[in-house]
Amino acid sequence: MSALLSVQGLTVRAGGKTLVSNLSFSIGSGERMGLIGESGSGKSMTAMAVTGLLPANISVTGSIVLDGEEVVGAQDKHLNRLRGVATAVVFQEPLTALDPLMKIGKQIAEPVRRRLAREMGQAPRVAVDREVLDLLDKVALPQPQRIANAYPHEVSGGQRQRVAIAMALACRPKLLIADEPTTALDVTTQAEILKLLDGLVRETGMALLFISHDLPVVAEVVQRVMVLRDGIALEEGAVVDVFANPSHDYTQTLVDAARMFDEALGRTG
Amino acid sequence: MTSLDLSTDRPARRHSLSLSIGLALVGLNVVVAILTLFWTPYDPLNASGGRLEAPSLLHWVGTDRLGRDYLTQIVIGARTALIVGTGAVAIGASIGVTLGILAAFATRLLDDVMAATLDILIAFPTLLLAMLVVAASDSASLWSAILALGLAISAIVARLTRILAKRVLRQDYIIASRTSGTSWLGVVVRHVLPNIWPTLSVNFALQFGLAVIAEASLSYLGLGAPPPNASWGRLLQEAQGTVYTAPVGAIAPGIALVALVIGMNLLADGLRDVGDPTRGRTR
Ligand SMILES: Nc1ncnc2c1ncn2[C@@H]1O[C@H](COP(=O)(O)OP(=O)(O)OP(=O)(O)O)[C@@H](O)[C@H]1O
Ligand SMILES: [Mg+2]
Repeated sequence: MSALLSVQGLTVRAGGKTLVSNLSFSIGSGERMGLIGESGSGKSMTAMAVTGLLPANISVTGSIVLDGEEVVGAQDKHLNRLRGVATAVVFQEPLTALDPLMKIGKQIAEPVRRRLAREMGQAPRVAVDREVLDLLDKVALPQPQRIANAYPHEVSGGQRQRVAIAMALACRPKLLIADEPTTALDVTTQAEILKLLDGLVRETGMALLFISHDLPVVAEVVQRVMVLRDGIALEEGAVVDVFANPSHDYTQTLVDAARMFDEALGRTG
Repeated sequence: MTSLDLSTDRPARRHSLSLSIGLALVGLNVVVAILTLFWTPYDPLNASGGRLEAPSLLHWVGTDRLGRDYLTQIVIGARTALIVGTGAVAIGASIGVTLGILAAFATRLLDDVMAATLDILIAFPTLLLAMLVVAASDSASLWSAILALGLAISAIVARLTRILAKRVLRQDYIIASRTSGTSWLGVVVRHVLPNIWPTLSVNFALQFGLAVIAEASLSYLGLGAPPPNASWGRLLQEAQGTVYTAPVGAIAPGIALVALVIGMNLLADGLRDVGDPTRGRTR
């Protein structure tokens, strides 16, 4: 079967330092995969390499085939046609992921307009506006009309992350990349956003690459995980297997740490 | 008044004092400049009274040493100043912003070369540069002065744009927009320009003022536009010899010059406050 995303021998270097080395994995259509590892382990680097948006001073070798197209070494113009169609990204920090000077509705309208123009050859304003409000409603934001007319600083952090998710959904990508989408949020909001993402991914059937350093979070939304440390893949497998029998000490420490954290919070399994 | 306001209402826009004063000063200048196209108090080229008359009801600011009405010269000078400031900033902004944006997107090597070139250009005194260009052109004309000042401004604007654009381009929302398929030109138009505009526009106002002063300096030095185009700089120069006997001749164009420059800066300041949606929150 041909995977939606197939990464082979991905190596990312910056200034003589290897940030990701010889990484291989693949994600099939509608499959949900997690990428976990501590801070600085190269998770974001991997995600950005997939979108082809790493800065020029970072070199990428290996092969990344996304929706049948090679990303490594491709022209930006070519990649631009893939972006939004094949992938969309939700970032960690919801405040900085939105343009502070643009109304929220307008920011979501952009990808909607592009998609409608692509799919139907035209993007009438009423259709775009309706879709924007639909999206805001879909990510469970109250009073979509009000939020659409607000600037990012006028809504809360959790609401901003919902907006960011709406922006990503606006593209209707085949693969959604979520780079620690809940890390910057408080625990209750985290749980809500996670539930929302999980529900939306299942409902739309899109594939998900979920990045986190938080094991319990990953376990909730994905089927398969890959554990990354210092840019090297330590192990990969079904969530239950990896967490029940970590074959690597590092994974074991992650599992233990998560368990201890849970116990400290009085959460159970 | 310190609560975080998340209500639907736009934050109440502070009626900024600087905006009102700036608008009044610049507006007056613009109105007067346009008026001179159709009407001036007296014929600017011929005597309409005695030489060096003191201010009177007939001649509000007196007359010059050829007996021409002084107010007429000053209002025509307002037109010259406005043309110079607008022209120089328009040239400087269009070249400067384009170069700055290109530099911000350019490869490392090209960017370094552009940055170094701009630094060298900026190190060159604007006035000296303008004098060179004007002296090199056949006849000293208003347009060669505007072109010279515009080029000097473009270097300053390019450097500022480059720095500001680079800062914006590093933001997550740019990457987020790019990941959803926005082309780089789309990113420039929708995100970079709006986000650097508040700072740029204030700089444009500053450059406008400096260009007006530079043109006055050129005219003062005899390198400005030839006589039918009255310039405040030339008025100041002509009033130099009679500054003790007829001080109004030196004071009046000086006040006009300062009023326009300050007005422009206040206006830019005020506009920035009004144009920035995140401003209303902290006060
Ligand atoms: N522009 C850059 N140039 C060189 N090295 C970089 C650059 N950006 C990040 N790095 C390095 O790359 C490594 C991997 O970074 P990455 O952002 O992928 O980590 P991460 O796993 O996403 O961490 P976190 O959980 O904190 O987001 C880090 O050691 C970081 O210092
Ligand atoms: Mg990261």
